[in-house]
Amino acid sequence: MTRREVLKRSAAASLALPGAAAFLDACAKPGTVTSSSHTHGPGTGSYWPAGSPYPLARQDAPVTWKLWREPIKSGLAPEKGATLQIYNWTDYIFLKVVRQFCAAYNCKYQITTFNNMDEGLAKMRTGQLQFDIFMGVTPDVLGKLITAKLLQPLSHSYIPHLVSDAWETYQNPFYDQQWHYTVPYTTYTTGIGYRRDLIPDAQIRGMPNPYDIFWDTKFKGKVGIYDDYREAISMALLKNGITDLNTGNPKYINQAQKTLESLINTVNVRTSTNGVYIGIPKGTYDIHQSWSGDIVAAWQYTPVQNMKTWQTLGYWFPSNRKGAVFNDTITIPANAQNPVLAHHFLDWMMTYKNAMLNFSWNGYQPPQRKADPSTLTTTNSYYGEPYVFPWLPDAIVHESDFHTGYFQEELTPQVDQLWHNAWQAFNSA
Amino acid sequence: MRGKRSTVPDTPVSPPRRRVRGLARRRSREEASGAWYPRWYWPTFALPGTLWMIVLFVLPFYVVVSIAFGTVDPVFQSPLPIYQPWWWTKRYLLEEWHLATGEFRPVELRTIVYVVLATAICLVIAYAVAYYVARFGGKRKGLFLALLIAPFFISYLMRMLSWVELLQPNGYVNSVLTFLHITPHPINWLDGVPFTVVMGLVYGYIPYMILPLYGFLDRIDQSHLEAGRDLGANRFWTFVRVTLPLSKPGILASLVIVTLPMFGDYYTNNLLSGSPKTTMFGNLLDNSMEATGQGPEAAILVLFLVLFLMVPMLYYMRETAKAQRNQ
Amino acid sequence: MSEKVSERPPVDRRKQGPASPAPARSTRTPLGWWRNPWRRPHILASVTWVYLAWSLLPVFIAIGISFNSGRSNSVWQGFSTQWWWGHPESDPTGALFVSPELHAALIQSLRLSFLTMFIAVPIGVAFAIGISRWRGPAPAGANFLMLFSFVIPEIIIGISMFLFFTYLLKFVHLGTGAQLLSLVTYQVSYPVIIVRARMLSIGREYEEAATDLGASPTQAVRRVLLPLLYPAILVSFVLVFADTIDDFITVRYLSGGASTEPLSVKIYNFSRGTLTPAINAAATFLLFSTLVIALLGVFLYRRITRGQRAEDQEMTGYLT
Repeated sequence: MTRREVLKRSAAASLALPGAAAFLDACAKPGTVTSSSHTHGPGTGSYWPAGSPYPLARQDAPVTWKLWREPIKSGLAPEKGATLQIYNWTDYIFLKVVRQFCAAYNCKYQITTFNNMDEGLAKMRTGQLQFDIFMGVTPDVLGKLITAKLLQPLSHSYIPHLVSDAWETYQNPFYDQQWHYTVPYTTYTTGIGYRRDLIPDAQIRGMPNPYDIFWDTKFKGKVGIYDDYREAISMALLKNGITDLNTGNPKYINQAQKTLESLINTVNVRTSTNGVYIGIPKGTYDIHQSWSGDIVAAWQYTPVQNMKTWQTLGYWFPSNRKGAVFNDTITIPANAQNPVLAHHFLDWMMTYKNAMLNFSWNGYQPPQRKADPSTLTTTNSYYGEPYVFPWLPDAIVHESDFHTGYFQEELTPQVDQLWHNAWQAFNSA
Repeated sequence: MRGKRSTVPDTPVSPPRRRVRGLARRRSREEASGAWYPRWYWPTFALPGTLWMIVLFVLPFYVVVSIAFGTVDPVFQSPLPIYQPWWWTKRYLLEEWHLATGEFRPVELRTIVYVVLATAICLVIAYAVAYYVARFGGKRKGLFLALLIAPFFISYLMRMLSWVELLQPNGYVNSVLTFLHITPHPINWLDGVPFTVVMGLVYGYIPYMILPLYGFLDRIDQSHLEAGRDLGANRFWTFVRVTLPLSKPGILASLVIVTLPMFGDYYTNNLLSGSPKTTMFGNLLDNSMEATGQGPEAAILVLFLVLFLMVPMLYYMRETAKAQRNQ
Repeated sequence: MSEKVSERPPVDRRKQGPASPAPARSTRTPLGWWRNPWRRPHILASVTWVYLAWSLLPVFIAIGISFNSGRSNSVWQGFSTQWWWGHPESDPTGALFVSPELHAALIQSLRLSFLTMFIAVPIGVAFAIGISRWRGPAPAGANFLMLFSFVIPEIIIGISMFLFFTYLLKFVHLGTGAQLLSLVTYQVSYPVIIVRARMLSIGREYEEAATDLGASPTQAVRRVLLPLLYPAILVSFVLVFADTIDDFITVRYLSGGASTEPLSVKIYNFSRGTLTPAINAAATFLLFSTLVIALLGVFLYRRITRGQRAEDQEMTGYLT
C-alpha cells in the first residue's frame, strides 16, 4: 500500500461537506471518494445502487435516514425577538399565514426565494447561508441534503399536529420513514393547464393521448413547459408511454429529449416557472404544463376578476389518475439560528386551520384529513370562493393517487447527469 | 575657422557620472529639469489597485481553472477544485470541448451572429447620431448630450422591462401596429423572435457606443473636412476619405466597449424571450451555474469565453499602442 | 519677389465663394439640393430625434405605468399611487414603500452603492495617477488587467467570484461583504479610464511648474494635480454610483439571502415571476435616486470649477 493510497483511504473515510476537504487536505487528491459503506452510511434502504453515496428512496423500497445528530430537546421555549429566515419557492406561501404565526410567536420573518430546486440547492450546498426553514423541498433531493448533513432531525414533540391533522401516511413516508427530517407541505399532480374557452374540456378529454395537445400548431407561440428538468422530461416520457419517471435508460431519455426538441420547431415552445398562474390568465400562454396548485390559484391573477373569466381556466390530468404525482416537504436546515421557533412553524403549517388558509391563496392542496377532497369544490375558502372551482375536478389530489400515480424519486448521480445533459441539449437547441 | 591642433581623434564628451546610492537614481533627461521622484513614488499609487486586481481578479481565475480541471463531489455533484496542477484532470475539459464543437455549436454561432448584427446596427445608428450631434449640434449640444447620457442612469433592467411591457400581445406596440394597419393582428414579439433579441441588444448597448464615438468625432478638426472639400471631394468622398479614417480609433474603442460584454449577455434573452431558440452563450453559463453537476462545465465555459475575448482585446491593445507610438 | 505677382489684383473670396472646381449648381433643383454640401442635414437630424425618442420614450411609459390603477403592466388603467405607498388588493409583494421586503432591498441597494463608490473611486484614481506616470514594463500588465476587467462580460466576474468565495476564501460569506468585494473589482476600472483620459489632456506642465517652484513630489500631487482632477473624480463617483445601483448580475450570485438582495435583483426576480406595476415603482425609485446623485454631482462640479470652466470642460466632456 503506497503512501498515496493510505492518504486516499483516510480521505475517503472523512466524507466531508462538499469542497471542505479539498483545500485543507492538500495531500489527498479530492473527489476520490465514491460510495460509503452501507453500514456507516446516512441511512438504510433496500435500493442502494453502486456508486451512490446514499440509498435511493422508492415506494417499494422505503428509506430510513439515520440521525446524524440528536434533535433539539423537547420543552424548550421559542426564541424571543427572532427573525424567522424562510427559504422557499417564489410565491409559494401565503404571507398572511406567516404574519399570523409571527404575531402569535412575537417574531419577524424574512423570505428568500428560488425559482427551481436546482437553484435552491445551489445556495444551500455552499453551507454558508443560515435559514431556519427550507420549504418546498422535493423528496428527490433529500438524500443529498441529509448525506451532506444540511438538515437537522426533527423533534416530534413540537409537531403534534402532524399526527393529529395530516394524512396518516406521512407519519411513515417512503422517502423518510418515521418522519425523521421532514413534514409534508403540499400535494400536487402535474398535468396540462389550458384555456377552456379555446379548447373545450370534451376535446382534450376525448383525445387518445392528450399530451399531444402540446403539438397542436393552432396554438403556435402560446405553448409552455416548466423550466425544470425533471418535470419537462417526465412529461415527454409520459407522452411516449414510459411510466418510469426515474428511468436511467439512455434510449428513453434520448427519445424524451427529441420529443421536447420537436416542440421547439412545431410550436415555438417556451419555458417558464410562472407560466400557468401569470401567463395563462394574461394570455401569454394558451397551453402550459401545469402543477395542480398553479391552476387552482390562477384565478387571482386574471386581469378581470369575474366568474366568466375564471371559467376560462382548465386543467387536465389522466382520469385513471395514472400521471405524475408529487408532494413536497418542509425541513429545518442544520445551522438554523432559531430551531425551536422553526419547529413551532412546522407545527403551525400542519394545523388544519392554517393549512387551509394557505391553500386558499397558494392553490396547492395540503394533505389534511379534515379536507375531504369531495367537498373542496363546494366549500368556500378565505376569499369566499370555493377552494377549487368545480370545473377543475382533475386538480384535486386524493390519497389514492399516491398508489396509482407515478412518483418522481431520487436518481443516482450518473442518471441525474444524463437527465441534466438532455435538458441542457434541449435548452441549447 | 578653428583648426585641429592635435592629431588625437576627438572623443565624445559625456557628462561626469555620479555614483548613486540607495534609492536615488540617475535622473532621466525628462526629469532632469524638475523635482526628483524616487523610483517607488509612482508605483505606490498604483499599488492598491494592482494588489486588488491580483487578489480579486486574477486569483479567482485560478480558482476557475482549478474547478475546470477538477472533479465533482460525489454527494452533490458540486465542483471540487483541484489546486495542485499536477492532479488536474482533463476529463471535463474534453467533455466540454466535445460539447462546444458539437451540441453547443448552434448556440455559439447564434451568439456570434446576434452580436455581429447588433453591433453593426449599433454602429450605424450610433455613428449617425454622434456625427450629427458633434458637427451640427450647435447651441443644443448640451441638451443632446444630456439626453444621450440619460440611459446611463437608467438601469438596464428598467429599460428592458419597459420594452417587455410594450411588446406584450396587448401592449402598445401591437396597438399602434394594428391601428396603422401595418399588421393584421397582434404579433407575439416575446416568444423567441430573434429580431426582438437582437433589437434588445441594440437598445441596451447603444448608449455605450454613442458617447465614445461622439468624443472622438467631436475632436476631429473641422479644417480637415474643409480641406477635403477644398480639394474637390464631394460630401460622400470627404466622409470616406477624411472622416472615417480619422474616426477609426473611436470606432475601435466603442466596438471593444460594446461587443465584448455582449458576448456574455444572458439577461436580454431571458427577459425578451423564454424560448430555447434564441439561447446565447451567456445563457449556457448562467444555466450551468445553477444546475447540479455542472460546476466544472460552468468553469470551463468561462475559460473558453475568456480565451475567445482575449483575441480582440489583445488586438485592440496592440492597435492603441501603435497609435500612441505614432503620435 | 517678381513684380508680376504684385500686379495681380487681389481675389475677393467673399464675392467669389469657396474655391470649388465644379461650377456652382442651382440649389433649387432636387439634384442640386441633394448635392448641396452646405444644406442642413435633415436625414441625420431626423435619425437623431427618432433615436432619442426610441431610447427614452419606453422609460417614460414605464414610469407612468408605476402609477397604474390596475395590475396590468402593459395597459393604462387609470391613475393611482397604490403601488408606491398604497395597499394594492390581493398582491403578495405589496407597494414599494410599504412592503418590508422591498424596503430592505432598497436599503441594501443604497448601502452597496455608497460603499462601492467610496472604495472603488479612491483606489481607481490612485491607480490611474500611478500608471500614467510610471515607466517600465510592469504597468503594461496592470494596465491590461484593468482594461480587461472593464470590457469583460459581468457574468464572468460573477461566476468566478462566486466560485472564489465558496471554495477558496470561505471566511468571506456570501452576502454584503462578498457583494462589495466583487462590485469594487468590477467598478474600479471605470474611474481609472476616466481619470487617465483626463490626465492625458492635462499633461505634465503644471506638476513640472510646481516642482520647479520648489514643491516636493507629494505637494505637487496634492495641491496641483488632484485639484485639476477633481472634476474627473466627481464624474467617476457619479458614474460608479449609477452603475452599481443597477447592477444585478454579480450581486445575484453572491447574495446570502433575502436580506442581502438589493432592489435590482428583486426587480430581476420579479420580471421573471410576478409582474406588477410595483416593479415599475421600484425601478423608478432607483432611477430617481441616481438622478439625485447626478444632480448633486453637477452642482458640486459647478462649485468646484467656478471661474475655470471652459466649454470643453463641461461634465459631459468626461464621458466622451
